[in-house]
Amino acid sequence: MKNQSLEIIAAAQDVGGETAAGKWYDAAKATFTQLVDVKHTVSSVFQFINVPMGVWIDEQGRIVRPAEPAWAATRTDVYGGKPLAIEGEAYVAALRDWVANGDKSEYVLSDEEFARRVKPRSANEMEAEASFKLAVWFQQAGDTDRATKYFERAQALNPDDWNYHRQEWSFTGEAGKKWLEKFKGYDKEYYPKLELKKKGG
Amino acid sequence: MERRDFLKIVGAASLTPATAAERSDAADTSPSATVLYDDRAIALDRIGVDPAGETGPLWVRKRDLPRVNGFELKPQGACRADLCIPVPKTMTRGDFFNLTAFAKKAAQPVVAEPSAKVWSFGEMQALGGGLSNSRIAPDFEVLDRLGRPVHLAGFRGKKALVITWASW
Repeated sequence: MKNQSLEIIAAAQDVGGETAAGKWYDAAKATFTQLVDVKHTVSSVFQFINVPMGVWIDEQGRIVRPAEPAWAATRTDVYGGKPLAIEGEAYVAALRDWVANGDKSEYVLSDEEFARRVKPRSANEMEAEASFKLAVWFQQAGDTDRATKYFERAQALNPDDWNYHRQEWSFTGEAGKKWLEKFKGYDKEYYPKLELKKKGG
Repeated sequence: MERRDFLKIVGAASLTPATAAERSDAADTSPSATVLYDDRAIALDRIGVDPAGETGPLWVRKRDLPRVNGFELKPQGACRADLCIPVPKTMTRGDFFNLTAFAKKAAQPVVAEPSAKVWSFGEMQALGGGLSNSRIAPDFEVLDRLGRPVHLAGFRGKKALVITWASW
């Protein structure tokens, strides 16, 4: 999406770093800001639990819309007999509306709606974050046994954080199989349904 | 000096045991502990011994405290910005401060692997900086593809879409 009024900052959250992520940025011929987020810093700051997720930030540094799925396409795929929908068209349309209209956009959330959507982390979620950080540390140090121990602890403490699972599975060679198993048994929304409510709604 | 004599002197010098200064230069320089705090990894070159002999507690030098978690020890307790947390006498011992006990008092999670000398600290909600307290996006620093630091604060004055994605 080209628009001189919008800065797009993409963070490739991958412990594998540029080696893992670089070729995808190259293939996309990316002209936006391209980050290599080996410690999942952006997800930690904005409480993302899966990819792709995004936040909108205005000129004053205020979060206009907190964590939500940030797809550009719309489609429904089926995995193991279970559908997985992504809702990109409506998201991009809302984004364009905000870029054009700023604070007057109907997609800017009220303070009340923002507070409804953003909750403090629970004790388990905070401990999961600390455990994930330790796992990444060991993974980067090449200590895969200890990395696994702390990835698994993070997953147990926060089973709804798909990032903790998917990052660790990427090192196992069984990522697809493990993902499908969890997805089929998952009783919540894999991607939270977009709530593109009007301002004040 | 004849060449023979010169070589004898050089040879003798190479057999001289290293001085204490020379030995310390070659000493192990790995940190005594590594603390993972926020998105930083802080190397501590000296930590204290736990009086009960336990491996889980992390006793840091009082003077290292500010660079680890931003707190300073004052008469009223450990303080950072508007927050002061009273510190019982058992939390200090000479030059050292029990950082893990402090974290527990502040309801801050710690996940540690003492055998690898690394302690990972989670969020301290008592500081009040979370998203549920303020809509102002916290600043962050992440490296770009060329290893250059990029700060979110650098985009002030512009609308920004911050998105994460992954090769997995």
